[in-house]
Amino acid sequence: MTSSFEPDRRRVLLGAAGAALGAALPLSGARAQELATTAEAQPDAAESDRIAAEFLGGVAPLAEGLAMELPATADNPAAVPLRVHVTEALTEDLWCEELIILAELNPLPLACRYRFSAATGAADVALRLRLIRSMEVRALARLSDGRVLEARAAVEAGVGGCGM
Amino acid sequence: MSRPPRLWISSATPAKGEIIRVRVQIQHVMESGFRLDWNGAPLERNLLTRFEARLNETLLMEWEPGASISQNPYVEFAFAARESGTLRMLWLDDRGMRLEAEREIILSPA
Amino acid sequence: MIKRRSFLIGAAAGAGVLGLNGGRLLAAPSVLSSSVQLMPREGSGPRIVICGGGWGGLTAARHLREEIPEADVILLERNPFFWSCPMSNKWLIDVVDTAFLTHDMLAPAQAHGYKLVHCEITEIERDKKQVRTSRGVVDYDYLILSGGIRNDYEAWFGNDQTAIEQTRRNFPSAYIPSSEHIALKNKLKNFKGGVIVMTLPPPPHRCPPSPYERACLMAWHIKTNNIPGKILILDPKPRIAPIGAGYKAAFDELYPDIITHVPNARVKSVDPFNKRISTEAGDFDFDDAVLMPPHQASDLVWRADLIGKDAEGKPTGWADMHPRLYHANSDEDVYIVGDSMGAISPQFGHYPKSGHVANYIAKIVARNIAQRVRGEEVVAELPDNLCYMLVNGDPLEAISVEFLYDVGPDGLVRQTQIDIDVRTPDLMDEDFVWIKGMFDDFLV
Repeated sequence: MTSSFEPDRRRVLLGAAGAALGAALPLSGARAQELATTAEAQPDAAESDRIAAEFLGGVAPLAEGLAMELPATADNPAAVPLRVHVTEALTEDLWCEELIILAELNPLPLACRYRFSAATGAADVALRLRLIRSMEVRALARLSDGRVLEARAAVEAGVGGCGM
Repeated sequence: MSRPPRLWISSATPAKGEIIRVRVQIQHVMESGFRLDWNGAPLERNLLTRFEARLNETLLMEWEPGASISQNPYVEFAFAARESGTLRMLWLDDRGMRLEAEREIILSPA
Repeated sequence: MIKRRSFLIGAAAGAGVLGLNGGRLLAAPSVLSSSVQLMPREGSGPRIVICGGGWGGLTAARHLREEIPEADVILLERNPFFWSCPMSNKWLIDVVDTAFLTHDMLAPAQAHGYKLVHCEITEIERDKKQVRTSRGVVDYDYLILSGGIRNDYEAWFGNDQTAIEQTRRNFPSAYIPSSEHIALKNKLKNFKGGVIVMTLPPPPHRCPPSPYERACLMAWHIKTNNIPGKILILDPKPRIAPIGAGYKAAFDELYPDIITHVPNARVKSVDPFNKRISTEAGDFDFDDAVLMPPHQASDLVWRADLIGKDAEGKPTGWADMHPRLYHANSDEDVYIVGDSMGAISPQFGHYPKSGHVANYIAKIVARNIAQRVRGEEVVAELPDNLCYMLVNGDPLEAISVEFLYDVGPDGLVRQTQIDIDVRTPDLMDEDFVWIKGMFDDFLV
């Protein structure tokens, strides 16, 4: 057996390669859960309600006509699938102008805003939300005839961060 | 690690008026601006700021995502195919990233 | 030169027979003795023996020869030719042909100057730094175990060899290169209808997203041939993962009448004679099945006595190894490469057991051994992983998952997972580019 192939002093550079790689990597995915965050859940729906009122502009929302698909339990709070769509047929004379999604207790409740046009012919979107805790998700859609449609659903999110 | 947008459409040769479903996903960190690095310093916000989809020049949908949108943002929407043309999609982020994707849509004869 | 070498080989073989067998086998050719020295040492460098000529072993052999040109590299492999498990699901529906999966292993051995010996490994004697094989004994300075996985049928059947044989023969798992892949393909082609049950191994297992890919492609065959068949996926996990949303869309949209995914269906018992399976999500009868038992590290790691133990002292089933340097914790001269590797980090557990990771780790290990041989500092490196999974046969549309790794301030490896759930033809195109790059690395 040849022992001369053994290095005399075997120093291991642990971490050096890792640190270099880390700098180049996006901070994302599961490991994000380990990073400290200043994100804080909203104490209540007040901020969400304020944004909703601004969107409504005094119009009373209708509880029919906007469908929301949201799982009752979020396996992964960092990517909760959500689909929202206007159920009635949209035409060149009737379209959805604007649609907002509110994650009521997230630090910034306005998750996103969509705008469509008379050319779109549909208002049917899906996306993935990251949720800081269990909460209600709310969607409001304004049609070109002035009506505002509303849908809500609650989602149970497991404990732990959501990468926010 | 830059990869192109991944795009799926339900039909590239729809009948006139057919509702086409579109799914697109890009790789993006969606850094919320809330997180701290290992030294406790805030990580600079880098969110997708805008997505838009047009058929030729006609706007079909614009989207303004915020910090509540997941990493590697997934976008699904639908539109009525009323004319042939190029479906053009555009993504912008806080750091000036600009991504584009397009797909030809050709109406099938009735 | 030739004359001298012939003489030396003869001498060594002769010594083996006389010395170790006391002349008992004199009637047979001396090479047929398992006690003979397998091969004399060559070169001025270390001898590195690689057990297992799959994705990890073939890669290690080539890169060791490049990193350490003076090394004597011997690759021990039981199979007569190379069969790629990656892409083999696509082969089930003829997206690629058999020639795409099967490869000559002599060509890379010749091109890179390592020795390829087809044999069965019978014992690994680390105290003597030697490996016993069906072709003789071989000593080493460094040993690489790259044997992939073994099917842990014992988890279902204990030592009931009759039940194990019935299951393996009739409902092959086809997750290890063997006749099982061909049997599965024939089974699919001859399928006339009924319920096919597919049991998924509990994590960690080989190629995590691939059982769902197999379900999709079998369903595609069933759909396009109008066969009145259904596929029941019995999944021990609470949800489809990885690429869960992409797979769910494929199941719901492409195969709504064929595929049913049953979560939390950990297998409790299997009756391969009466075609019945009992799980935590209920009992199921089947007409045919792909019964994938739990996976564990290959026989080699067990033979080397390098399997880890959990807190209760029970075997983990996987190698007990350094998570950054890939050698056994109890033996720095023995490296574990590929699917047999043990847990890497408490954050995510194991590296995905994929050909990509085996190839990547093998290259790192080749560099690390070279650093040791040259007396240099050993640099710990991390892999990445990339999997493309075909979900539709026409058009060919794939989804994908990518894993990235880095090291946290606590020194632990962390994983970032990127699922691409939108099925597109360009991901399938990228898959072909990916595998060509892989094959060019270790099969040419």
